[in-house]
Amino acid sequence: MRIRIRHDTTYHYDVPVGGVIQMLRLTPRNHDGQFVVDWRIDVSEDCRLDAQEDAFGNIAHVFTADGPFVALTVLVEGEVETQDTGGLIRGAVERFPPSLYLRETALTAPDAAIAGFAADARAAAGADPLATLHEMLARLHRDVVFDTDPTHAATTAAEAFALGRGVCQDLTHIFVAAARALGIPARYVGGYFHRSDGVVAQDAGHAWAEAHVPALGWVAFDPANGICATEAHVRVAVGLDYLGAAPVRGARDGGGAESLAVRLLVDQAARQVQS
Amino acid sequence: MLARTADNLYWVSRYVERAEYLARILEATQRLSALPIAYGGTTNEWDSAVATAGCAGAFFAAHKEANEESVTEFLAFSPDNPSSIRSCFEVARSNARAMRTALTIEMWEAINETWLELRRFQPSSMSREEIARFLRWVQECSLRFDGSAYRTMLRNDAYWFSRLGVYLERADNTARILDVKYHMLLPAHEHVGGPLDYFQWAAILRSVSALTAYHWVYRESVKPWLVADLLILNDQMPRSLASCYENIVRNLDSIARAYGRQGPAQRQARAVRTRLQNSRMDGIFQSGLHEFIGGFIADNNRLGAAIAEQYLV
Repeated sequence: MRIRIRHDTTYHYDVPVGGVIQMLRLTPRNHDGQFVVDWRIDVSEDCRLDAQEDAFGNIAHVFTADGPFVALTVLVEGEVETQDTGGLIRGAVERFPPSLYLRETALTAPDAAIAGFAADARAAAGADPLATLHEMLARLHRDVVFDTDPTHAATTAAEAFALGRGVCQDLTHIFVAAARALGIPARYVGGYFHRSDGVVAQDAGHAWAEAHVPALGWVAFDPANGICATEAHVRVAVGLDYLGAAPVRGARDGGGAESLAVRLLVDQAARQVQS
Repeated sequence: MLARTADNLYWVSRYVERAEYLARILEATQRLSALPIAYGGTTNEWDSAVATAGCAGAFFAAHKEANEESVTEFLAFSPDNPSSIRSCFEVARSNARAMRTALTIEMWEAINETWLELRRFQPSSMSREEIARFLRWVQECSLRFDGSAYRTMLRNDAYWFSRLGVYLERADNTARILDVKYHMLLPAHEHVGGPLDYFQWAAILRSVSALTAYHWVYRESVKPWLVADLLILNDQMPRSLASCYENIVRNLDSIARAYGRQGPAQRQARAVRTRLQNSRMDGIFQSGLHEFIGGFIADNNRLGAAIAEQYLV
């Protein structure tokens, strides 16, 4: 599938801002299931934009823009060609052994409820880790309600699980926390998702999880949709949790209150038939 | 476009590129063999020239020994060797004539004049200087054909197929150089970085005209792992494997977009490109440079077959 993405983030500041520094993890890389045909980042102000690779192998851009300005737009746009690999992630950049992804973070610390959830899934599915992960995927998708209201960027896995509600980020955190509680390396993936229902304009990017299964390598699970990753998923960045794979992190100097508008379009570029 | 026309376009470019590569190999070998034994070592450069050209079997069936005379004759002029410079130009020209109307005037003239002029060279009476001049002439002919294509062709499927031929052949050639030179064992007493080493690897860089580029990129003396890095992973270097695949993928993608269909050729090219992009040199050395290059050559051939299957027959 050829997916066209246009993602712009606009900041408006009440008072002109003196300067902005941001770290953008908004550039996908190639692996066996996806190929980046074309990709660019545009910033509306004059700025310094340096590309680098972070420790996990994600492409990260650091940009600094000197003010004063009252609005700033960061636009990423590109085309990615994807193939369905049944959720298997092969040929991706791996800078660490899988065992690193057992590390617990503040956002993904499992509490007793999550540990219990994981143990139940394992009991229901048997000893096979892949079956256990699928069991967790199905249960999370069934039991946790997708709801954009009650949670925010800093909601932990335990809080979201207690609420029984959350967005894709929270579901992913719960999944990652539960997998790690069972000793299965798991990580957070940030990216884009092409919706099959024809909705092109979206409010935010997508998030899902990858877990390492010894016989298969990394396998991607999308608890918000209750499926393994398909050709509709464009994988952009991985990390131990949201903070490690966040599309934008940054700081600014001055500017007073800030309002943020995100516009995201994910569409199929041209319908192609595979021969 | 007819598959036959696409096939002709693709092969004209491949053969012209191959002729240039043979000229480069011969030039580099001539230079290497002119070194004193103390620098040049006891290995036979002419042997490795034949191996790099990928026609050792045919050569040793016709000749007993690889020396300057026999190898130059075989790689440059022999009508019996299907990949001699002469044969390359001949096949390129007959391919070009078969689809004369798909080429621009400039391209046709470049290839036709090359062929006409080629017949004026008398290999038996050529001195070493004349051979050197001939080899430079071959490279200029390739440049002229390539430049004409770049400057005069419409950017449509005809152009993309001809580019595809260039880059596929170029990737194959660079990989072959790396593969053969990797085998060239150093004498036991030579430490790495000794004069023999230096001249061998410098000759490799020269054969892909990358010696100056090397110094610009690394600002260091010539070291084998950096040479390998430059020729495999550096996508700024126009003859590196990474750069060739960047272009292959782009051209295949243009074809796929224009035809609205894609298939195994696109998938395979992307897979190789991804692997080159995601590899690092220390990883490649750890798992074996030889295995990596061998795998690459096999992949490249598979891609050639996939392109042929999908578009050219």
